[in-house]
Amino acid sequence: MKTPTDHITLFTEISVWLTGFNEAELLATGMLDTYYQALQANSSQDDFSYFFKAVEIILHQNRNDIASTEKAIASMLMPVSAYNGIAGSIITMWYTGNWGNTVISGQAYIQGLVWDAAQTHPPGAKQPGFGSWNMPPL
Amino acid sequence: MESIQYDVVIVGSGISGAVIAKTLTLAGKRVLILEAGLEAGIALEGEAAYNAYQNYLETFYKAPAKAPNSPYPDLKDAPSIDVLDIVKLQPGKTSTKGYLVQKGPLPFASDCVRGPGGTTLHWLGTTLRMLPNDFKMKSVYGQSIDWPISYDDLKPYYQMAELEIGVSGDVHDQNYPGITPDFFGQQYVFPMKKIPQSYLDAVISKKTNKLKVNLHGKTYQLSCISTPQGRNSVPDTDYPYSKIVWNNREKKLKIEHADPYSNLPSLWDPYTGERCEGNASCVPICPVQAKYNALKTLKKADQKNLNILTKAVVSKVIIDDKTQQVTGIAYKRYTNPGEPEHTTGLATAHVYVLAASAIENAKILLASDAANSSDQVGRNLMGHLVMLTWGLSKEKVYPYRGPGSTTNIPTFRDGDFRSEHAAWISPIDNWGWSWPVFSPGSDVSTAIANGLFGKALRTHINEVVTRQVLLHFEVEQTPDPDNRVTIDPEYVDPLGNYKPVINYNVGDYMLKAFEAAKIVSDQIFAANDLEDHTVYNPVTDPDYVVYKGQGYTFRGAGHIVGTHRMGFTKQDSVVNKEQRCWDHSNLFLAGCGNMPTLGTSNPTLTMTALAFSAAENILKQLEH
Repeated sequence: MKTPTDHITLFTEISVWLTGFNEAELLATGMLDTYYQALQANSSQDDFSYFFKAVEIILHQNRNDIASTEKAIASMLMPVSAYNGIAGSIITMWYTGNWGNTVISGQAYIQGLVWDAAQTHPPGAKQPGFGSWNMPPL
Repeated sequence: MESIQYDVVIVGSGISGAVIAKTLTLAGKRVLILEAGLEAGIALEGEAAYNAYQNYLETFYKAPAKAPNSPYPDLKDAPSIDVLDIVKLQPGKTSTKGYLVQKGPLPFASDCVRGPGGTTLHWLGTTLRMLPNDFKMKSVYGQSIDWPISYDDLKPYYQMAELEIGVSGDVHDQNYPGITPDFFGQQYVFPMKKIPQSYLDAVISKKTNKLKVNLHGKTYQLSCISTPQGRNSVPDTDYPYSKIVWNNREKKLKIEHADPYSNLPSLWDPYTGERCEGNASCVPICPVQAKYNALKTLKKADQKNLNILTKAVVSKVIIDDKTQQVTGIAYKRYTNPGEPEHTTGLATAHVYVLAASAIENAKILLASDAANSSDQVGRNLMGHLVMLTWGLSKEKVYPYRGPGSTTNIPTFRDGDFRSEHAAWISPIDNWGWSWPVFSPGSDVSTAIANGLFGKALRTHINEVVTRQVLLHFEVEQTPDPDNRVTIDPEYVDPLGNYKPVINYNVGDYMLKAFEAAKIVSDQIFAANDLEDHTVYNPVTDPDYVVYKGQGYTFRGAGHIVGTHRMGFTKQDSVVNKEQRCWDHSNLFLAGCGNMPTLGTSNPTLTMTALAFSAAENILKQLEH
């Protein structure tokens, strides 16, 4: 039986693989615990534990091999039929702050990584300052 | 409160009500505002104003659909019109999904905020004056009708409106078709220097400014110009005005020099909102209040002459049968906005002003059987019809930054073609494809559905979202008596007040403009090598229309105009050019409802100019 700490570690590691953002970028959002809890609250116990078992195997078996890890994620985690689409839901959380169509919290919206990926900021927050839009992003 | 004798009762605390209340109270008149919204939203300073606004902001963050009204309370007892309630209408079927009862055949697609500050809370802030020919469409183009006033008549009030709102802009850029060099006046400048234009504007303008396009056998040269906006930038030290005062000797409002112009910061802190900070969320909410809202005007009123009664929903104007004078305004006051329990009250004064929005004003008048000897109340409902086109640029343009739009193409705002089809303005939008397809959230969900994840996903989002270009063709709608607001006892809200029933359609004059605008859009797309992703969906788009076999979709611009128009005679209009009801000499109407036509300007600046003019006429009447 995995302890919650182990699961959070696995959640962090797999989130890096799923989102394309590194651990420092993910931690900087301050949302790790919130999203882990949202995942737990919105998934069935079975999906949740089978998902983490699969994650553990994927990360262990393909240690340090990017191509094979990605291949395993693509075939074992990304299909919507896998664990009720948990992998996609994790990406959605990190990118948009949503679980499905529900905004997890105001802070989750603000910390959405889609805005970083698009070299901008969430509308209504993290404002870049007067006139900044006149130039390409930094 | 019962013991106070008011000079004027105003219904609504949006920009028209606020401008009139400020002007009258500073001239020494006692004013009562009846406001249907909640008490918290009327806070004008300090912690209370900050807290109310932070509540809006937090609500916006948490809203799944960040629609224009998403930050603001929607009250059962005083419902707001919401774009999220717009549905495609089946032939002959009525939609009662939202506050509006939509009878069609097309759904009316604009919304507004019913609460303290009104729709200036969520407006974009574009502050364009109407063009001289917009006021004389009938005599110049043989279309719709003329206004009883001209551009020149309204010009001094436009200056007042630009001071009141705090317009940032560059007058030298403002070259519109059909204007003469004295359009702004010699050496006129706006209160603040222009809001910087976006990087995206610069990329698109490179190949669009001076582009020659062909339309119906004629060549037009496009221009891309900066857009004047009601948001704070750097004050222009050459701007001479700082005050609007009532001159009782001359019986006129005067725009005067008193102190150097200083911009209007947030309500709660003089050091917040002095400049636009690039939140890129003007619609629905500017977090720092660098964007103007009507509460800033209310704050400048003489507070000792002003009372504001919130939670007071007006149901009726009471008219004396013999004199045809208004003797009071009946309102229902709720305690809990979700419950039908209420008390009733009657507000009395010498003069009355309805400034509750075009649709609400019409509804109240119809419910009162007032001001309608012309049978024009509720008729001629208009909006700007927004046809969007969107594509991907080869070069990254980095949207989702800066105010919603900082540049526009004014080329088709006026011209001989107006005898054939409607005019339009083309704002270049800064917020990617968020409006038509809910980007970038939809880009993420599509990518995930396609199995993208990790670095490939991050790269994909970067490649797609940074190239999104949205053009916007905002087509003027001409007045049609069958586009109208009515009331029906079958449709009432929990307080027993009528819900507006809307009949709405779009005529060939506008459809032809969609065709023309699409022809121009295609040429802009080609010149900029944009990959076209525009889709008009006949099944899902509520306002999908067909012209000559081609489908187009339009959206509402949030500009609700024309339900109690001003005119030349008692027979053709609801108010005269002084904005006083022909039928009741102590009842004024204010707001976009007075506008006989709409042109291609976002109507707030014109509505504000009209509100100053109305305030002047009210003062003249009171001082008579």
